[in-house]
Amino acid sequence: MSQDNAVSNAIERVLLDEKAIEARVRKLAGRISADYADVEYGDDGLVLVGVLKGAFVFLADLARRLTVPHHVDFIALSSYNSGATSGEVRLIMDSRINVADRHVLIVEDIVDTGNTLDYLQRTFHARNPASLRSCVFLSKPARREIPVTVDYLGFEIPDVWVVGYGLDFADRYRTLPYIGALKKRVYSTE
Amino acid sequence: MGLQDDVERVLIPEEKLQERIAELGEALNEMYDDEDRPLLVCVLKGAFMFLADLTRHMKMRHEVDFMETSSYGARTESSGVVRILLDLERNIEDRHVLIVEDIVDSGRTLTYVMRNLETRDPASVRVCTLLNKPSRRVVDVPIDFAGFEVPDEFVIGYGLDFAEEYRNLPFIGVLKKEVYANVEENDTC
Repeated sequence: MSQDNAVSNAIERVLLDEKAIEARVRKLAGRISADYADVEYGDDGLVLVGVLKGAFVFLADLARRLTVPHHVDFIALSSYNSGATSGEVRLIMDSRINVADRHVLIVEDIVDTGNTLDYLQRTFHARNPASLRSCVFLSKPARREIPVTVDYLGFEIPDVWVVGYGLDFADRYRTLPYIGALKKRVYSTE
Repeated sequence: MGLQDDVERVLIPEEKLQERIAELGEALNEMYDDEDRPLLVCVLKGAFMFLADLTRHMKMRHEVDFMETSSYGARTESSGVVRILLDLERNIEDRHVLIVEDIVDSGRTLTYVMRNLETRDPASVRVCTLLNKPSRRVVDVPIDFAGFEVPDEFVIGYGLDFAEEYRNLPFIGVLKKEVYANVEENDTC
């Protein structure tokens, strides 16, 4: 069975198709470019911090639509719990660029409970950046446990298990070019 | 804006880049199937954009993982030995590994990364690079899939940087000499 068949058997429906995603990412890139129009390269420049693994697709598409100069960096996190989005966050690999006095934009694939984003905001805030904002592709407000500020949001979605565009289920479906809702039997049997 | 002003010329425009990446995706679709479940290993930071576009064309079941390395400094550069800052999340024993690279230049770091991964007994290790610069090769390294062969010029864009800049240009360009001539080059791979 090809991935195409396997995938269509696992996906309940397409929530956001490629066209909708591309249009939205362009719009976000336009807004960010306008907001940071005065920022130039240098020690006080803009740094995009992508959160691995999930944000790499969004970051790749967002960065190339930005017209403002910026640096790109990555951070890798994991959770102390088995659940990926709740509980205490553990830093696996820190970002490499010193963000003191720089404009930091955290790039995340999804904000769910808010724990991860809250951790990132506290972590980077402590490093005295010139400014700190967040750009998140998807938000699931129904799952929120901690209030967090999202400055640039792609889409708000209902509380369903979504995959694709960087988001996975047990490392599967991460690179689908659209956002799909996973069938219940897929995540309830494993 | 400054960003594009430093580009001497466009070497590979965006459409040509995307066309070729789709072809590479097709080649991977022929090489691997669902049973193989290849693990794509992206060596940060340069290859993230290529990885994002390449995987959109892949039809077989696959996974992605990341590695980040850092040089120990000039003294050890010739050996290619690098510090692994971020190791793979996955165990690759008996897995088909595909290393995804932005560019293969001297081949030193890539050779070291391959040797490191091979000690973990994967089923196979292959290399897919967007750009290949054979004129700079120091260590002979087998490349299974290559997007474009590029001349020995300073190329930027589409993940490739000069001192962290220009990574996000959607095309591959050649950097103007005056931009890098007066800066010490200390960020090569």
